Amino acid sequence: MRRRAAGAGLVFLLPALVLFGYFAWWPIVQSAILAFQRTNLVDAAEWVGWANFEQLFADPLLPTAALNTLWFTALSMLIGLPLPLLVAVAMSELRRGGALARVLAYLPVVIPPVVSVLLWKVFFAPGENGVVNAALGLVGLGPFPWLQSPELAMPSLVVVATWSGAGTAILIYLAALTGVATELYEAAELDGASVWRRIWHVTLPQMRGVILVLLLLQIIGALQVFTEPYVMTDGGPANATVTVLLMIYRYAFLFGNFGVASALSILLALVLVVVSAVYLRLTRSWSSS
Amino acid sequence: MHTRQRRIVGATAAIALVAGLAACAAPAGEEDDGVVVITVMGMPAATNTAALELFQQQVAEFEELNPDIRVVGSDVPWDAKTFAARLAGGSAPTLLRVPLTEPPSLIERGQVADIAAEASELDSFEELNPRVMAFLERDDAVYGLPEKSYAFGLVYNRALFEEAGLDPDQPPTTWDEVREAAKQISDATGKTGFGEISTNNSGGWHLTGYTYSNGGSMIEPGTDGAYTASFNDDAARDVLEWWKQTRWTDDSLGDNVLGKQEDMVAAFAAGEVGMWVSAPPDLYPQFINAGGDPEIYGAGAMPQGGADATLAGATVLMVNAKASAEERDAAVKWMDFRALRPNYDPEVAAAYAEVSAEDGLPVGVPVLPIFSEEKYAEIQEAIAEYVNVEVANFDPYVASLAAFEYVPEPLVASQEIYAALDPIVQAVLTDPNADIEQLLDDAEARVNTILEQAQG
Repeated sequence: MRRRAAGAGLVFLLPALVLFGYFAWWPIVQSAILAFQRTNLVDAAEWVGWANFEQLFADPLLPTAALNTLWFTALSMLIGLPLPLLVAVAMSELRRGGALARVLAYLPVVIPPVVSVLLWKVFFAPGENGVVNAALGLVGLGPFPWLQSPELAMPSLVVVATWSGAGTAILIYLAALTGVATELYEAAELDGASVWRRIWHVTLPQMRGVILVLLLLQIIGALQVFTEPYVMTDGGPANATVTVLLMIYRYAFLFGNFGVASALSILLALVLVVVSAVYLRLTRSWSSS
Repeated sequence: MHTRQRRIVGATAAIALVAGLAACAAPAGEEDDGVVVITVMGMPAATNTAALELFQQQVAEFEELNPDIRVVGSDVPWDAKTFAARLAGGSAPTLLRVPLTEPPSLIERGQVADIAAEASELDSFEELNPRVMAFLERDDAVYGLPEKSYAFGLVYNRALFEEAGLDPDQPPTTWDEVREAAKQISDATGKTGFGEISTNNSGGWHLTGYTYSNGGSMIEPGTDGAYTASFNDDAARDVLEWWKQTRWTDDSLGDNVLGKQEDMVAAFAAGEVGMWVSAPPDLYPQFINAGGDPEIYGAGAMPQGGADATLAGATVLMVNAKASAEERDAAVKWMDFRALRPNYDPEVAAAYAEVSAEDGLPVGVPVLPIFSEEKYAEIQEAIAEYVNVEVANFDPYVASLAAFEYVPEPLVASQEIYAALDPIVQAVLTDPNADIEQLLDDAEARVNTILEQAQG
């Protein structure tokens, strides 16, 4: 009986599997094949072995793009990871206006990414008339060439990415905070623990699982950063914000070299798989310890 | 029917439905009862009612003249990002309408067809301006026909010129004069004296155009025919030095240097920029569209560093390499009917001009002729009564067109080369201590690698 039910379930699952396989997995397989081919999409593709990878590694921009991507990821961790957590914890301590705060915190996520990025491009306009510079000018700072300076461009992009993505993380943290056992807080309060001690000794340890999941998602997301450098700086100035994904995009759509673009995509995917595996390994050992 | 059987039938039906939907995504039929169907880019958008109406009339007229051809218009503009995917999926148009930056790479990748046989049968083919056709012919092959062409020139704001005490009828013609005028505009008005763009390959594109005006070149073929970088010399070095001085010594280049052409059009239309380099005729409709005042639009000669040369470009019509011989033939007939005739047949030109003027579109913008000077004069005479543009404001630009040599964009890997040059332009414009020698050395090595791979 159970076997029959399973068989019937499989039949119903089949369309979904077919669709998922065709639209999600087949492109990945094709991309892997394309990494070893040269094609102009008109004539039959030609097998070229490792030539695409060799061409890729001969590109002096690759190390720059890889380092820039790591730099973006590191900055995202520094700014983008603690900030939503702090905001969520602060919001959970609010006695009034919690709903309004949640709406305000989530609002940037509702704005389409390209719109928010273009908006920030205006904010970061150089000179005294740029919105950010005008605000800083009130306290006697600047003006700074935010996107026009090789040093400031990447941190500026991280600010934009954090602003547009933090809302989701805040909501997840808020949801997780509701799961923290209230009796622990009561016990801590009875023991005379301050707000900071309650956060440090009760809230954070209880939320470790969620924090670790979001950390992984953020690393995977940050390593694939594209919209911000593509729309705001096009990789400039002087290659300061060229990322791996921007390179993939250029190889594929600007230079029409799908082989090398696929080769780089596969390498990036492998790195992400390794990151995920290491992370899973670590979290397993942490949770068992 | 048992429940289980019903389930299987249901699931099979669902799969069949999905498969059916997938099959619907196949491209339009190529031939149907002997009728050749071609999809053509260049149909005006639905919002441009008069031009669209004219297009539809032309299609009807064309189909009447050629009952074995059916034309399906597409108002989707050229987009490098989607073209490759559409080509792979079999849904790329038969007739492509592309800016002249694209043909070198499309030709190299074999994605466009040789139409020499079909084109040479056209009445007007022999009369096409050889300076324009030079970009589209390789050996004996012809890869496209021009729809319109342009050459780089100086676009300037006549009002800001007057405000700064400069004569708007005498725009600067050398790079030294441009630098002086830029400083004067910037000092007198507080606006950007000379605007520059440097992203999305526009930095490399401009460096190329400016280098040509200094007598330099970007790539040169060796004795074996293989191209190598040739820009690591004084011609390009002087451009970079000029930028450095205008940006950092004079402070007249503005501080917003990390933009592309669209950004500069908006700033220029808003009256924030005194001068910049672009293709004046091509830019004019965009300028009007962005709310620019037609009175202030000035077009001057491409500033020179002694070479009397300018980078030339065009909007070009090409045929998809996947097109059959019949489709190729039909596409070339359509190119002649729609694009060449208005520049060749005075009657057609007048009809075009009338409709455009009615719709409020610019008529009479002086362009680089795609046929002979005589033919151009004949056409100008035919459309004279519909001209609604301040033609006199283009006089300095028009006067330069006959005098200059037109230099094409790099024939191999043009977009890759531009992409490799963007960073060095950006470095000079964003870093006062940029080492020009080092930048040129690095760029030369990079471009040589690109050329090696492209020609390998």
